[in-house]
Amino acid sequence: MEVLALVYRNLRARPVRSLLTLLGIVVATASMVLFMSFGEGLRKALGAELSSVGPALLVLPEGVEAFSAGYPELRPEVVERLEALAGELGVTKVIPSAVFVRGGFDPTSSFAFQGLPQGVSPKDLYPNLEGAEGVVTPGKGGAVVGGTIAERNKLGLGKTLRLSPEVSLEVVGVLERAGGIADSVIYVPIEAIHAVLGTKNYTSVLLSIRDDRRAEEVAAAIEARIPGVDAQTAGDVLRFAERAVRISDLVRFGISLVALLVGGLLVANTVMMSVYERIREFGLMRAIGARRRFIFGLVLLEALLLGLVGGLLGLLLGQVASFAVNWYTVREVGLALSSVTPRLAFFALLVALVLGLLAGVLPARTASRIPVVEALGRV
Amino acid sequence: MLEAIHLTKRFHQGEIDVVAVDRFSHRFQPGITAVVGPSGSGKTTLLNLLAGFDTPTEGEVRVQDGEKAVVLSKLDEGRRAELRLRLMGFVFQQWNLIPTLTALENVAFPMMLAGHRLKERQERAAALLAQVGLEKRVKHLPNRLSGGEQQRVAIARSLALDPPILFADEPTGNLDSASGERVMELITSQARKGRTVILVTHDLELARRADCVLRLRDGRLVDG
Repeated sequence: MEVLALVYRNLRARPVRSLLTLLGIVVATASMVLFMSFGEGLRKALGAELSSVGPALLVLPEGVEAFSAGYPELRPEVVERLEALAGELGVTKVIPSAVFVRGGFDPTSSFAFQGLPQGVSPKDLYPNLEGAEGVVTPGKGGAVVGGTIAERNKLGLGKTLRLSPEVSLEVVGVLERAGGIADSVIYVPIEAIHAVLGTKNYTSVLLSIRDDRRAEEVAAAIEARIPGVDAQTAGDVLRFAERAVRISDLVRFGISLVALLVGGLLVANTVMMSVYERIREFGLMRAIGARRRFIFGLVLLEALLLGLVGGLLGLLLGQVASFAVNWYTVREVGLALSSVTPRLAFFALLVALVLGLLAGVLPARTASRIPVVEALGRV
Repeated sequence: MLEAIHLTKRFHQGEIDVVAVDRFSHRFQPGITAVVGPSGSGKTTLLNLLAGFDTPTEGEVRVQDGEKAVVLSKLDEGRRAELRLRLMGFVFQQWNLIPTLTALENVAFPMMLAGHRLKERQERAAALLAQVGLEKRVKHLPNRLSGGEQQRVAIARSLALDPPILFADEPTGNLDSASGERVMELITSQARKGRTVILVTHDLELARRADCVLRLRDGRLVDG
C-alpha cells in the first residue's frame, strides 16, 4: 500500500510534468497503433476481397506481382494457348482482362478501368456484385460503374467517360455497393483499354476451374506448359499479400519507433529529474533500513506506471484515430483501411510497458546507488 | 549492545588528510548517552559510522543481534540496511519523514520493509501515533504538521519495529522550547524502558539529561 501510494502520489505531486510526460507516451503509442492498424486493416480487406473473387486462378506474366496495374504484358497467344488447354485441365472459363489506372493525388480523381471481353460481366469476377441501374455487362461503347465510384463521382446512367481524347464511353450500368475494392472499379469493354494503351496485350487472365481443390495442380500444369507465365491460386495471392503486408508492417513500425524513442526519453527525463529531487527521501528510506533494490524497484515502478497509463490512453487515442481514418476511407474507396485488432492492442501495451521499463532503468540505478551519507546530506 | 572499537575515519580533502573520527572506543549502555562537541568535532561522522551509514577507515562497530555479536562495519550494504531496520531507530534534526506519505504511512513504513501485514501495520502505527499524542493527525501529510509534530511522528516511526537502539541527531534543533521539551520527554521515556539511546547534540542543556556524556573534539573522545 505504502509503495503504491508513494509512486502514485509522487507522480501526482508534480501534475503538469507527469501529464506532459504521459502525453508524450500517449502520442507515441497512438501513432504506433494507427500506423500498425493499417497493416491489420489491409490483411482483413485482402482476406475479404479474395474470398469474394470468383475465378480460382490468376495467370500473370512471370515476375509480375498480383494487384499490380502496370502495362499489360500478356500476349494474345497466351490466351489462345490457355483456351486450347482448357478442356484437358478442367478449366471452365478463361477471362482475359486488361487494367488501366488513371491516377491522381486525391482518391476522388483516381480511376481504375478493368477491360472485360464481350459477354463477360463483373459478376463473373466478383459473384457478390449486383446491378442497381441499367445493365450489368458492359457492351460495346458502354461502361458499368462500381457502386462506390458511381456515388463519389456522380456517375449516373448516360454520363460520358473520357478514357483518352479518342476513346469515350457512356455509362450503361451502375452496380450496388458490395463492400470491397470491386465497388471502386469501372468495367469497360476490353477493346476500349486496348485502344487507349495501343496494345492487344492483357494484364492478367482469370480462370475458373471445375474443381477448386485442384487449383494448385492446375496452376503447376499451366506454368509447365506455357513459358513466361505465373499461375497463382487465391492461396498464393494471399501468401504474397501477407508477405508484402508484413514487410510494410516492419517499415511502419520503424517509423513509429522514432515517436516511441522520443516518448521513452521523456519518461527517462521525468523520472531522472524526480530522482534528483528526491535524493534525501531515498537517503532517509535507506537510513531506516530500505535496501538498494527497494529503491530501484520504487523508481522503476514509477516509470512502468507512466508507461502503462500512457500505453492505455495511447491505445484509446489510436482506436479513435483508426475510426476517423476508416470513416474517410470507407467513404472514399469503400475499404476500412485501419483495424485495431486484439493482438495489435496487446502488442502496443507491451511496447509501452517495455518503453517504461527501459526508460526507468537508468534513473532507478542512479537512485539506488547514491551512498546513504551523501543522499542524507550528512557528509 | 553497541560498541565502537578504535573507530577511525579519514577523508581526503584535496592534498590534505582529514581525520574526522580518531580512534574512538566506547561501549554504549542502555539509557541515554549524549555525544557533544562543537560543530566540526566529528559528531555526525561518528553517528554515520555507528549506524552503518558509512564504513570506518580503521576499527570496527559491533552490535548485538539476538544471541550473537555482529561486526556491523564489516557487513555489506544490504546486510547493514537489514540490521538497521531491525535493531535501530532514527530521529534526525530535519528531513525525517517521507513527504508523500501520511503520518500513519510514515510510521508503518519500516514495518512494510520488514514484511508485516497491512492490518497489523496500520493498527500498530495508529497505536504508536496515539502514544506520542498524534491520534488526530494520522492522515496528515508531513507538510500539514508542525515541526514538533513531525519529530513526534519520527519518534513513533523509530519505535515501529521495537528496536533496542535509538539514534537521535539534534532532535530538538529546529523546535521551540515547548515542542522540544515534549520530544525530549518521549525520548527519555524510551531510554527508561531499557533502550540504548545515542543523543547527538551541541546543546549542553540537553546533554545534562543523559546518563553518560561523551565529549568530542577534533574527532577524539575528550572525556566520557
